[in-house]
Amino acid sequence: MDQLTVFITCAIAAVGMYLLLAMRSRAGRLTGIIVGLAALFWLVIRLIGNGEVDGSPDPAAGGMPQPLFYVFALIAIGAGARMITHDRPVYSALYFVMVVMSTASIFLLLEAEFMAFALIIVYAGAILITYLFVLMLAHQAPTESEGEVTPEYDRIPHEPASAVAVGFLMLALIGQVVFQRPSAMPPQPGNEERLAAIAENVNILDKKRDAIIAAFSSGEVDLPEDVIVGEILGDRIIFIQQTNNVPREVTFAQAGLTQEEVMDLLPENIEEVGLALVYKFPVSLELAGVILLMAMFGAVVLARKQIELGEDEQRQAAGMQRLSEDVEEGGSI
Amino acid sequence: MNTLTLASEAFGQMTLGHYLLLSGVLFALGLIGFLVRRNMIIMFLCTELMFQAAAIAFIAFDRYHGGTSGQVFVIFILTIAAAEAALALALVVLLYRRRATLDADAWTELSG
Repeated sequence: MDQLTVFITCAIAAVGMYLLLAMRSRAGRLTGIIVGLAALFWLVIRLIGNGEVDGSPDPAAGGMPQPLFYVFALIAIGAGARMITHDRPVYSALYFVMVVMSTASIFLLLEAEFMAFALIIVYAGAILITYLFVLMLAHQAPTESEGEVTPEYDRIPHEPASAVAVGFLMLALIGQVVFQRPSAMPPQPGNEERLAAIAENVNILDKKRDAIIAAFSSGEVDLPEDVIVGEILGDRIIFIQQTNNVPREVTFAQAGLTQEEVMDLLPENIEEVGLALVYKFPVSLELAGVILLMAMFGAVVLARKQIELGEDEQRQAAGMQRLSEDVEEGGSI
Repeated sequence: MNTLTLASEAFGQMTLGHYLLLSGVLFALGLIGFLVRRNMIIMFLCTELMFQAAAIAFIAFDRYHGGTSGQVFVIFILTIAAAEAALALALVVLLYRRRATLDADAWTELSG
């Protein structure tokens, strides 16, 4: 997909988005939706089948079926578009929950299980609930004559033409970068780098390392005692003796293990993330805790009831207790 | 071979570009929503949409280049988003108490 096509697709999608935002009539909005969907499906059709699959998908490469990506991506984009155009703010928050769910599903496709569920728990379960509470607290009571009418600032968008132009220009630039040099984007998940990174982590997690060494020491393979896991490749593991740095290569077949069994022995995603947090990013972890503490302080300070000036004097005149005791009055309270 | 394997062979390989495009589209939608809407709370919700897009990009790069740094950074994105949501909503509630409206245009005298 060359650069001109990217810009034309983004321009068509921009027109569709503008019609969806700015038109008040139902026919205008429907036209906008159709035009936007046309641009989106044109992009999807260009993306599908852009390469050849050689042989069966490698299970170690995490080959989840690709159609699921398109399903979740379209749900996310549709929910996002509906979120920014909906009249009622509570519906916008609920469509955002749908975006969070589809994002979590895409994380599952990318084999980041901990992040998927952390996203659901924190975002959909805490942040969005807070937003919904505040939206319902700030709901303005409808006037008696008009009944339930959404406020004007929700219904009428604010300069849709320039906003849509800016947004889709940026998207066209991103698309240009993605489509410009297809050779720079790796066609498959980087299995070798992933396994190399896992090999580092395995040596730190003692139980996993011992389990792998025990599994590979069975049968005719005779591993010396003080080995660490040097490198994990697609069908073999290279152990390194610690005393004299002699590498020792053992294939999965020699140890009598299938590839799935070896992949089960490797650390899970949550173990890797936990190890990375504590082992490689300890200062950032502490700073994140400090940021949350500061946010809590800030929220408590901001939510305090503001006592107006002069209220103390009014209360004293009425014979009630003063609320604050800064000023010495001499009398007892 | 079941249907999903057949379908996945027809759909071609997943490249990093797929995920980055999805991230770009979500970010553009969040950007447009932030500029278009005038309800203060919905404007902050659109910034959260931009956070989602950045999180997808981080996890995609993490998967395609090994290591776990991307996922750790997404944890920190969640932390910052939670802190920002708490403080932003507290400020919005205070502003709402002053003018009894959530309209961002009610505060235009703050500019220039």
